[in-house]
Amino acid sequence: MLNTMIRPKKSTIFLLLLVPVAWYIFSVFIPLVVAVFYSFFEWKGGPAKTFIGWGNYISMIHDKLFWQAFGHNIYLVVVCIIGQIGLAFVFVLMIMSRFVKLKGIHRTLAFFPSTISAIAIGFIWSMIYNYRYGLLNWFLKAIGRSDLVSVWLNEPKFALILVSLPLIWQFIGYYMVILFSAVAAIPQEIFESAELDGASGFQRAVHIVLPLTKNMIFVCITLCIAGNMKAFDHIYIMTNGGPGTASNVMALYAYTVSFRQSNMGYGSTVSIGIFVLSLAIILGSRALLNYFSKEEAGL
Amino acid sequence: MNKRLTCTFGILLALSPWLAFANGQQETAAPQATASGTYSGDINMMHFSTAEEESNGNGGATGFRYMIKQYQQKHPEINLVQNVLANNEYKEKIATLSAANDLPDVFMLQGMNTASWSKQGLLTDLTDAIASSPYADRYDQSKFYTFTSDGKRYAIPALTEGTCAVICYDKRAWKKAGYDKFPETWNELIKAKAALEKQGYKYVITFGNKDKWQIDSCFLSTIGDRFTGSDWTYSLIENKGAAFTDKKFVDALRFTQNIFRSGIFNPDFNVVSNNDANDYYILGQSAAVICGNWDVSYIQANADQDLVDNTGFAVLPQPEGATASYRTHDTGQGYGLAINSKVASDPKKLAACIDLIEYLTGTEYADYVAQNFALSCVTKADAVDMSKLDSFTVDFYHYYENPGCEIYDSYINSAVIDVLNTDLQTMLNGDMTPEQVAANAQSKYQEVYK
Amino acid sequence: MSRKNSHSSNDMRVGRGVGAFFINAILIIFSFSCIFPLIWMFYSSLKEKRAFQLDIISLPAKPTFDNYVAVANDRDAHIWTALLSSFRTTVFAVLLIIVFGYVLGYLLGRLKFRGSKIFSLLLLLGLLIPIHSLLVPIYVVFNRLGIGDKWYTLIIPYVAFGLPIAVFLIHGYVLSVPKEFEEAAAIDGYGFVRTMFSILLPICMPILVTVAIIQTFACWNEFSFALVLINNINYKTVPLAMTQFTGQFNSNYPKMMAAMLLTMAPVVLFYFLFSKKIIEGMVAGAIKG
Repeated sequence: MLNTMIRPKKSTIFLLLLVPVAWYIFSVFIPLVVAVFYSFFEWKGGPAKTFIGWGNYISMIHDKLFWQAFGHNIYLVVVCIIGQIGLAFVFVLMIMSRFVKLKGIHRTLAFFPSTISAIAIGFIWSMIYNYRYGLLNWFLKAIGRSDLVSVWLNEPKFALILVSLPLIWQFIGYYMVILFSAVAAIPQEIFESAELDGASGFQRAVHIVLPLTKNMIFVCITLCIAGNMKAFDHIYIMTNGGPGTASNVMALYAYTVSFRQSNMGYGSTVSIGIFVLSLAIILGSRALLNYFSKEEAGL
Repeated sequence: MNKRLTCTFGILLALSPWLAFANGQQETAAPQATASGTYSGDINMMHFSTAEEESNGNGGATGFRYMIKQYQQKHPEINLVQNVLANNEYKEKIATLSAANDLPDVFMLQGMNTASWSKQGLLTDLTDAIASSPYADRYDQSKFYTFTSDGKRYAIPALTEGTCAVICYDKRAWKKAGYDKFPETWNELIKAKAALEKQGYKYVITFGNKDKWQIDSCFLSTIGDRFTGSDWTYSLIENKGAAFTDKKFVDALRFTQNIFRSGIFNPDFNVVSNNDANDYYILGQSAAVICGNWDVSYIQANADQDLVDNTGFAVLPQPEGATASYRTHDTGQGYGLAINSKVASDPKKLAACIDLIEYLTGTEYADYVAQNFALSCVTKADAVDMSKLDSFTVDFYHYYENPGCEIYDSYINSAVIDVLNTDLQTMLNGDMTPEQVAANAQSKYQEVYK
Repeated sequence: MSRKNSHSSNDMRVGRGVGAFFINAILIIFSFSCIFPLIWMFYSSLKEKRAFQLDIISLPAKPTFDNYVAVANDRDAHIWTALLSSFRTTVFAVLLIIVFGYVLGYLLGRLKFRGSKIFSLLLLLGLLIPIHSLLVPIYVVFNRLGIGDKWYTLIIPYVAFGLPIAVFLIHGYVLSVPKEFEEAAAIDGYGFVRTMFSILLPICMPILVTVAIIQTFACWNEFSFALVLINNINYKTVPLAMTQFTGQFNSNYPKMMAAMLLTMAPVVLFYFLFSKKIIEGMVAGAIKG
């Protein structure tokens, strides 16, 4: 924290905060309170609402489909933290290494998938998985494993990993950009002196880059958890949660309940459930990260 | 400062329930009456007949768009504000608007929402308007059943009468395989597989169920009718004792599961859309496709003339053990034009809206779709001059001589349908038994219809 | 001893050479996979539907721009109006996100004031809300206040929902900037606000640019709020216009791709034109940091 010498007046802080905070509360918080309010009603679309207290919440606790979807979200979070942030970190280090040519091109291209809308990404990957002329089956035939050719998105066992791959692929570049800006804040001399000492790339990663970019990595992990707990678009486009509910996720379930089954009250409850569970997981993960990072600092 | 913030929060929070109950007191532009006493001003209308559908040869949509243009020319005093969305987006938006009690003046009402929305007072009761419509004597009264609740009518069936279950097949391929007509039993289809594969077809028949509604609308509603008969269906719709768990219906489910696992379909039926299934047929990879009327117009617009000329239409073959009905196909008009109940506060505007929906479904529309596409709608058209039409269109016109049956998802509550459709997809993969599917659907049904 | 030494250093060099080759190869494959879809979509959009269905990977035999003409002339999509609306919405939203995000991120990073914990938590909450759950509430609130279906309507939620990510990123970055900058500025007699905007802002440029890039695409591609809040054809954004080509009665993939590319073009061009500048910005930040 800044020392008192440069501490601003309270009125200054207030004025600076006023507009952004009011804006934010108006468009996020008020609708959220309204959604909480709705979650206590039996409301099948239309103006008629019946207050049923905790009724929807009790249904949710016993709703197998909701908990199945929750499990899928957890799976997504784990896969994506490893795939997105892990790979992004590795790629950033690789690009920082002096053996790598075309650094600028790699940086530019890696982020490109993040610029494409979910509709286009879903479409592209559906084409890759396509049974008749998709790249995946084409590749399997080319390496002589025609026996493995299958209707990929119709395999309940694989549906979830298959819809996570596009997510991972698309957002590696997103986290790379964030990590680049963090690495950019590390003074170049530290890298250079480390290299003179003969520190290997791996040692450098663990002992220099990781601690110095810790804050940003935590931000990335939070973003990744938040993003995947409410994952929706790609799955909606590629499998619509199918086959059956094999790739269903919580946000898709809330959407289905609200808009397909026009059960707006219960849909709001499911959304609040998503919200609370995500919050618990994020706070839990933060506590965990803080604990481990302190441990490491102690060493 | 903390106090001030708390204060702001407090005020905002106190406001939010008020904001939530925004309904009821909507300010609407003051109605403007012209000297002649008719309404002039805006009418907001939402529909899903997009230019893209028109360009894909959808006759109903083409006619609808044509009528709107005619209406605008005839009524310069009315500013028809259209919001045209593709069907999926339309459904999401209309669900939001109904929840917020802010429906457009005129919109497309899906049959399954009639009961729930009319009970909540969202819809204008059109019973009298329909009885006194200039086209009243030409209306096919049976088509209003979908939009009737408690004896009142809430919409005029819009667009065209459409079958949801028809097989388009390549006559040449089946003739070569030894069938002068399309087979009447499913076992013959299985037998024909080898002969068709010899001709280079990859699949006997194709289907696309990616979006989960197709299996319900384009297969099960018809197959179910063959097993259960229509009395069971009406009993289910009107909550008079029929249950999904009735043996007859479970038999239909079991048949559905078995036939989709018999190898005559494209293996990717659960992940491709109905359009992809059509494309398999168009590209000569399958000898037949199960589809709805919208797919028929798609095939006509997109296939080579050669294939179009040799395409025949057939009802779904009879399942073994099904004896309740024969040769039926599920058909109807799933959407109707309805009017927001709030319009009633301005009688002149209401009259204008009624005039609009009557016009869009009236004789002019009927004649247009009949003469150009041999399609029929709620209003009876003048005799169609078949000589001007190509054989594809004429053949499809005659397909409707087969007995019709009801489409489940035009009536049954959407929550039940959604559960049923999701489970059906799993069932087709063999990961769920017909009994489980029936039990799940029944428990949702009992919850909703209690 | 000396022979042994040279031997091992030789080994190391070979090892390094192989390692460098693999690192380069991995990155090249990855970068190629990132750009390939664009190339594929482009040449496929020049095909006719039938040609695409028969072979989705080959180059078009007879390239045609018919799909683009059809998209540009579609009577419901109003693609040019949509591009203009998207442009207006995105520019305003991103500018506001950056200004607000910087103010909040900086204050939270540097000051401990009463309520700062609550703000952090509130921002975190914003990240976690599945937006579909807010569609009906937002619609109701906006309509009640008469701010639905206006040219500025979408800017409101876009700024609010872009803000948490922006604040988190900027906050995290500010934490890694040494406090000596402010202390030096204070000694020079700079006030708080002046320090914040004239000293710290340039230092934070890399992260601000990052935020701008991320949010530009988020705003440009946002669909659900646009669908629910906008009716007026003049305010419909690009993703809404796009749905006209991806409806359930359509599988004209080359035409869809033409529509996607046409609507992606402005932001993609923006990105590739400025990516060099963006990278320079990051490097500049590194030197100062």
